[in-house]
Amino acid sequence: MMRDETTAANIRACAESRHLDDAHTEKWLAMLTPSRLALLDYAERLKLRTGQLAAAIDLLDEIEVREGIAPAQILARDDLRRICTNNGSTPWRAAAFIEALRKIRFPRLQIAIDRLESEIAALRLPASIAVVLPKDLGSDELMIRISVRTGDELEKALEVLAEKKPALMRMVKMIGGDDTE
Amino acid sequence: MKFDLDDIYIEDTCRESALTKRIVARADIPVHFVEDGRVAARPRLDAVDSFAAGKRRLVIMRRRSPFLMACPAGSAKFACCGYLVLTLASNCPMDCSYCFLQEYVADNPGFQIYANYDDAFAELDKLIASTPARHFRVGTGELADSLAMDSLTGLSIELVNFFAARENLTLELKTKTDEIDNLLAVDPKGKVLVSWTLSPRRVFEACEHRTAPPSARIEAAKRVLESGYRVAFHLDPMIAYPDAERDYLALMDELFSAISPAKISFLSMGGLRMTAGLRAAARRRFPKDAMLLGEDVLAEDGRYRTFAPMRIRLYKILADKFKAAGAAVPSYLCMETASVHERVFGAPPSHPAAAGERLATIR
Repeated sequence: MMRDETTAANIRACAESRHLDDAHTEKWLAMLTPSRLALLDYAERLKLRTGQLAAAIDLLDEIEVREGIAPAQILARDDLRRICTNNGSTPWRAAAFIEALRKIRFPRLQIAIDRLESEIAALRLPASIAVVLPKDLGSDELMIRISVRTGDELEKALEVLAEKKPALMRMVKMIGGDDTE
Repeated sequence: MKFDLDDIYIEDTCRESALTKRIVARADIPVHFVEDGRVAARPRLDAVDSFAAGKRRLVIMRRRSPFLMACPAGSAKFACCGYLVLTLASNCPMDCSYCFLQEYVADNPGFQIYANYDDAFAELDKLIASTPARHFRVGTGELADSLAMDSLTGLSIELVNFFAARENLTLELKTKTDEIDNLLAVDPKGKVLVSWTLSPRRVFEACEHRTAPPSARIEAAKRVLESGYRVAFHLDPMIAYPDAERDYLALMDELFSAISPAKISFLSMGGLRMTAGLRAAARRRFPKDAMLLGEDVLAEDGRYRTFAPMRIRLYKILADKFKAAGAAVPSYLCMETASVHERVFGAPPSHPAAAGERLATIR
């Protein structure tokens, strides 16, 4: 497929207006015409900011190498198209678009996070206790935060934790590689 | 295995060294003499890929810094195997897409071999004289492959003879080649370990350019084992691609069917980890290598690693395989925290000195 040089000026203008660095601009321009046009469409409709546009270019490139799927095909997915047309604010939709690309780029991470988050939700913890997952599951450390002001509150929080111990232990194991599939 | 070189640069002070004479006699390529080898090792600004160009430029020079050092991968943050590194060369003729040298020697990518390696032997003798009660495992395969250029340098013969004559030193020659002919000609007297990095065939094909195929590495290990060497294997880096569990287990089946687990001194594991700089360099040099694009996230140590549950799961599956192999194969993790070590092996890691001693003396 030939690259359409007529789109180059539009892409350069879009990149320039966002002060996109040269490396990302060149990577965008190196995409085949359907892909670079599709990204231009998203960039304009969602008013992607510089960092978002750079992230989108990187994620699309990485998905293409990993899955062998061209950016145009990825950007044609229904779940991504819907983000452009739903009712949220433009900044919210832009953030949702990047998040959706990340989910495609990191499919198994997303499954692991979803499972752990549903375990946390099932705990039905009081507001005084929070179970915090490490960012992107980058470590095996599970943080359990207790926020109290009085002895009574502490007593209650500790009772809840004792009651939830089996479920919490299961989460500690999950984050350590047990039952992640 | 033979690797292509374009030129040899010889530092003036090394003209008469035995190593220089051996290499010049065996390599039929242009020779240049330079005052300072460090200058010849610098990146060539006119090269499209100065790191790759450096691999083809052999620089025989004097090493100015100590030869012996603690393993650069060691850190208080990680469980550590107590490995000591003897740097006899820097850079490597093979070209693995994930190799840390792409960042580590980016400022001096010339393939350096140090002619004053007698100084290394003196450092080792000083070490064992200062701590006679300890036993050290010393390896030459950190900044270079231990055997890749051995047909040219013949260094392995001197190394094996040196270590064979010393009670409390064990040499580890770490390689991805099947370059073992020199080893078969000398008697290690039980003091030399030869270790291979092993990867499934898919990783080998995608990433490990110009290395020997995994089956050839295993075959070479079998041969040195029969010649009195101890053998060990490093599953490092382990890459958690979608079929990794199946492929790593199959690789272990292949290994254990060729070499009895009881005869393997140890197995190490380490997940692929890349600093942002290494990741950028590797992606620039190998933009189509999907193995570099696993589900890697920024970990606590500032490196990109496969997210923790998936990485630890792969370790555990392999650790279980080692345990079930008939004879429990001693094993350790490289550059992982004590908590990960405990999750995988069910016990906290040993102190580095104790781990080093144990790995040095295991039969």
